[in-house]
Amino acid sequence: MRLLVVIILLLLPSVSGAVLLTGKVVWEGEKRIDEKVRVEPGAELVVKPGTTVIFTAGGLEVAGRMSARGAVFKGKKWEGIVLKGCTLATLLTESEVSGAKIGIQVIGGEPRLEQLTLVGNDVGIELRQKSDATVAGSVFKQNRKVGLFLKDGVKAAVLNNKFEENGRYGAYIFRSTPRRFSGNVFSRHDTGLMVAYSGSDPELRDNCFDQNKVALRVEKAARPRITGSDISNNEVGISLYRRADPVIENNLLANNETGIEIAFSSYPEIRHNDFVDNGKALYLEFQSSNWEKTKGASTRQATSSRSAFGSLDKSSTELPPPRSMDGTVDARDNWWGKAGTAELEKIGADGNPGFIDDGRDRPTFVEEGQDYPLDTVIFSPWLQQSSLQGKEKE
Amino acid sequence: MRRCSIFISVFVLTVLLFSCRGSDESGLRGELQFEDVPLAGASVEIYLKAEKDRSTLPFATTSTDSEGHYRISLPAGSYFIIGKKKTIEGGRTRMLMAECPANPVEVKDSLLSVAPFPLREMGRDAGLVPEPQTGVKGRLVYADQPVDSGFVYVYTARESGLIGPSYGEAVQSDDSGNFRIELPSGRFFLSARKRADGEQMGEPEADDLNGSFAGNPVEVVSGQYVELGDLALTRVDATEKEKRLAAGKFEKTTTRFEGKVVNRDGEPISGIYVFAYLDSRMVGKPTFISAPTGDDGQYRLNLTDGGTYFLGARSTFGGPLEPGEWVGTYDVAADHSVAIETGKAVDLADIIVREVW
Repeated sequence: MRLLVVIILLLLPSVSGAVLLTGKVVWEGEKRIDEKVRVEPGAELVVKPGTTVIFTAGGLEVAGRMSARGAVFKGKKWEGIVLKGCTLATLLTESEVSGAKIGIQVIGGEPRLEQLTLVGNDVGIELRQKSDATVAGSVFKQNRKVGLFLKDGVKAAVLNNKFEENGRYGAYIFRSTPRRFSGNVFSRHDTGLMVAYSGSDPELRDNCFDQNKVALRVEKAARPRITGSDISNNEVGISLYRRADPVIENNLLANNETGIEIAFSSYPEIRHNDFVDNGKALYLEFQSSNWEKTKGASTRQATSSRSAFGSLDKSSTELPPPRSMDGTVDARDNWWGKAGTAELEKIGADGNPGFIDDGRDRPTFVEEGQDYPLDTVIFSPWLQQSSLQGKEKE
Repeated sequence: MRRCSIFISVFVLTVLLFSCRGSDESGLRGELQFEDVPLAGASVEIYLKAEKDRSTLPFATTSTDSEGHYRISLPAGSYFIIGKKKTIEGGRTRMLMAECPANPVEVKDSLLSVAPFPLREMGRDAGLVPEPQTGVKGRLVYADQPVDSGFVYVYTARESGLIGPSYGEAVQSDDSGNFRIELPSGRFFLSARKRADGEQMGEPEADDLNGSFAGNPVEVVSGQYVELGDLALTRVDATEKEKRLAAGKFEKTTTRFEGKVVNRDGEPISGIYVFAYLDSRMVGKPTFISAPTGDDGQYRLNLTDGGTYFLGARSTFGGPLEPGEWVGTYDVAADHSVAIETGKAVDLADIIVREVW
């Protein structure tokens, strides 16, 4: 059988012109590439440990199979690695990809991307077209725009990755519901994780957010379930904006300037969380059932039903109705920390707790000369002790 | 007698007015039918090009009168006519539709009479309504091997190029590559594709399988399944695809816009397509598209004819904007328009794009 396998060792220092790889191809040592290299369907590219591939232009497109372990792929504004419909047999691991427009773009398929370092790309990894890829144990660092981008109904598993200091977002989930998204750590971002637009309804479990301006932002009709996560030391723990209705449960929100910020007709379910030592546990802004009833749909129509070039389009997406439209935000059955609980014991269920900033503090807001009542938070009943054993920091 | 002379004067004046209007007016007139009867209240949509899909807005529309007649004023040019009517009878929705067999029609300096044409009933999602025991059967193959899960598309007109979403029906082949499509009697064009991502829609990419039935068009007779035999697919070759693009929408012409795409800081942006629309709304498929800009931000937008175009620029084709995408318009005129004469090359001011998040 071995005799049937054609093994070509490409030991030349450079490849120029368009290159099509067929059969089994092995790369090792240092390679310089200045145009697109394509691994044809049925072909296999093996990149051996210690290989450094330097792209002065072009990129690597894989329509067959690729395996790389302990390799470095680098260049300046090169196109990156594109994996098109690759199966589980494609494995990139313990390798570094840097300097690309998109470090690794996965179009469909189910390749495994494990223990990689994506650094200094415009986008670290972009998953598209319902890809079922696995992205695990990798580091996304200082990519200029986004560390990990999930688009087009991606069903990937995103596990135990570390996101640090990426330009706009650590990760962005756009109209996708990854099958697993857990064990990831987001540090020092403007926005650690963005979940946006309808069709983005994943379970985000056991993730950690630390020292971000906004740890996690949900907007535009996304409905994730945020659970089991440690969201601490951020300016804003969770920001909900423009009809974001997530379920937020069993999380620790500690030492954030604001625990959860709720704005523009967002109606989450917030329960069984621990709120500890946040500047404000909950903060409502431009949040009004009254506004939603009278202006919500028409305002969204005016902004969302425009074509790419700004003209009015006939079609627009009808959003699901909010869970609640009675002027309240549901935050029952949470642990508000020792100090918060002591305050609640003192003021009772009808009081105005200092750790919640809502319609009790600012009864109305003004838009276009008209007053709208600001919603209030239902915080009672509350838990008498932490719901997260062993995680409470107080 | 006086009353009679007034009547005659008014009549003559009216005739004169209508004859004057008729001599100046250019456009189309004709009749839509359904089941050999004139069809009242149907929509008549006028398009500028053949590649109509549901995202393309018509250039002009009108509707048929109580006698199934329509009349629409249009400037001189080449047009594609589509007739449509949706009815609800006893709770059942019926969609009637057809392209004018004479498409494209050439309007010059007068009102062009178009031969009457019948609409056909479409099924749900614009599918064709089959007749009992009527249709086609065949097998998808690639390199003489059966192709499972490929999509076979039925088109009612060749003008679509047998690509795009204007097909009337689509079915998937089974594990043995076999397919059977229920159809009404008529004349149809078949093509088939199997995409690597398994999708039914979308332009075939390199390595996808693609092909048209060699025996197109297929005549389907009521009460019979036409045996097609094998419908052979070939693999889309990346190089060939690039050549085809170069010969198609990116083909070099003497009428063109040239310029640069930059960001707000004036830095050139690569990978941007410049789109030209004939419609000021700039929705749907553009009429012309440039190749993507290079590192210097330069583009060349080839046109077939002069005229007034509305220009926009994006980093991707079609669909709603995605986060991270670049988008912009040609903003020298408020409506993003610019005029060009046939045979001229016009240098334009920079198009400024911004990243949307």
